[in-house]
Amino acid sequence: MDEQLNQAPCGFLTLSTEGTIFSMNEMLLRLLGYQQDELDGQHINVILSPSAQMFFQLYFIPMVTHKGFVEEMYLSLVNHQSEEIPILLNASKKKDSQPSLIDCVFLPMQRRNDYEDQLLFANKVAKDALNKKQEAMEALEAKQAQLIKINKQNQNELQLAKKIQETSLTDAFGNDKIQIESYYKASKELSGDIYGFYQINDHQYGVILLDVMGHGISSALVTMSLQSSYQKVIPKGMSPASVMKELDSHLHYLFHHDEEAWHYCTAIYLLIDTEKQTMEYINSGHPPAIYQNKQGKQETLGATNPPLGTFEGITYHSKTIRYDKGSRLLLYTDGISELIGYSYLKELIMNSPGKSLTDLKEEMALKLKQKQKRYDQKDDQCFILVDLK
Amino acid sequence: MERNVVVRNNVTIKGKGTKPILFAPGFGCDQSVWSRVSKSFEEDYRVILFDYVGMGKSDIKAFDYEKYSTLNGYAQDVLDICEELALKDAIFVGHSVGSMIGMIASLRKPDYFSSLIMIGPSPCYLNHPPDYFGGFEKEELFGLMDMMDKNYIGWANSFASTITNDAEHPEVAEELEDRFCSTDPVVARNFAETCFFADNREDLPRVTLPTLILQCSEDVIAPTVVGEYMNQRLPVSTIRYMEARGHCPHMSHPDETVALIHEYLEKLESEKIGGLT
Repeated sequence: MDEQLNQAPCGFLTLSTEGTIFSMNEMLLRLLGYQQDELDGQHINVILSPSAQMFFQLYFIPMVTHKGFVEEMYLSLVNHQSEEIPILLNASKKKDSQPSLIDCVFLPMQRRNDYEDQLLFANKVAKDALNKKQEAMEALEAKQAQLIKINKQNQNELQLAKKIQETSLTDAFGNDKIQIESYYKASKELSGDIYGFYQINDHQYGVILLDVMGHGISSALVTMSLQSSYQKVIPKGMSPASVMKELDSHLHYLFHHDEEAWHYCTAIYLLIDTEKQTMEYINSGHPPAIYQNKQGKQETLGATNPPLGTFEGITYHSKTIRYDKGSRLLLYTDGISELIGYSYLKELIMNSPGKSLTDLKEEMALKLKQKQKRYDQKDDQCFILVDLK
Repeated sequence: MERNVVVRNNVTIKGKGTKPILFAPGFGCDQSVWSRVSKSFEEDYRVILFDYVGMGKSDIKAFDYEKYSTLNGYAQDVLDICEELALKDAIFVGHSVGSMIGMIASLRKPDYFSSLIMIGPSPCYLNHPPDYFGGFEKEELFGLMDMMDKNYIGWANSFASTITNDAEHPEVAEELEDRFCSTDPVVARNFAETCFFADNREDLPRVTLPTLILQCSEDVIAPTVVGEYMNQRLPVSTIRYMEARGHCPHMSHPDETVALIHEYLEKLESEKIGGLT
């Protein structure tokens, strides 16, 4: 071996095609800490780590045999002290040598190797993170699908509840003394409004309209609870003060010491006597009902008391007005007046003589529908029309 | 589907004979490893060569992590090739893990094959002391895989297919003429894990075909003790110790390899005739 190659700043090695060491330069011996006679005639495996021995058979031999050269092969050598030395290897089959020989050049790459290890590690961490993200995304999608399913079930449940709530409402009613029509529309699925009208005897009728604060499930549950309560007392012909007292007590009882669940409610109750032609009423914080006599004179049935469920132990006092035959009455919740305006309601009643009660109801419903298209419906809507004949 | 098997495994058929001989490569490289051996069979045999999915010019789109996480997946592909080519009594020549793939295939459909020739086979690379010495500790096998990761042999290919969004531009992969040992690194690692952590020792006694083991000297991957272990457990086997050193006698010592295969096949033939008379 010429001196220049012997001292060149790289390891140099000549191998037989089977991997037997034929010759090597001084630099390689120094790198590995071996003496020449310790390696001459040995298999290259002596200076390869176990993994490198495998890799050498799996890739080096096939590639050199098939292509005649190897470029940039990474291997780890093992020195005399059994320490691994990462190297980069280029090799080529010698032309016309007999026996066939392979020249190999080694470049140690300790620092580059450390850096590469870190890069590969960072790459692995990034890949793992990506996989985890993917898994998390899939889990999230599954959860979302589950939520959609649950939401759909809830929707179905709400629709059913709405049906139940609507079924509990009393139907339009009429005879030769009195006619009653009603309109009822929930803001979402369930309403916080509720009403009822009852014939107490052949000349007395009870008409009630309530608006529980809020909307949705909780308010609707309170309406149903109040309904079961007033259904017991109104048909008995109890006085408006007793009816309201009963409902007020019911609310206080329901939310006794429970601030969080507390709901109050506005209500108006009328006890109509067709024989005496009187209306005895109590308005507990509810929007004023509009009464109009045969001559077109309007009167409002404004609040006589604070809302139900607010102050405990109040005494309810009713007011009584006499009515003429041919009078008309409108009761409504604030969901109506806020949408189409109190003055419009008054005007509507004012212009209504001659119109049948059902036509008037249709007209109001249409107006509500038109307004609703322009504004988001935020509150429940309910009104009751009464003709006193 | 049938056409796909040929494309999927890049099946090549050569030779003037009718008796089929199937060459299965070992881990790492494609069917060109057989070029120095298979030629001498072309006069008398129907020579069939193929690549595993992910190797050489096979269809990488057919790669399936789950299927190829066991040698069974690779064996299934061998059976697909046999079925597609309507093979019967084929001689199966496998190198290294290729021998195990052929053995598994023969256990599932023995009729396709007449004999197994195993070059440098090992049923299990891991040591299982005290009864079995496969040659490697787990750390050493992981070390091999780390070394593969750092060799970027298939890196250029995988990079090319990544930037062009592979599936829609198969022509890019085809432009790379000689892929020999270059494989997509992810596929190569997957294959390496499947190969080097396989344990087929329990299958050995169930093999029904006559088997030749070609045992190299100083083979670090399939040491002599492993070849002898196989020879003891295979029901009808012969072991021949080769002059060749290392793990790739079909490349480094093609003449010796060819001679030993011919010798064995002739012996089988004469036994068959002898058995009939």
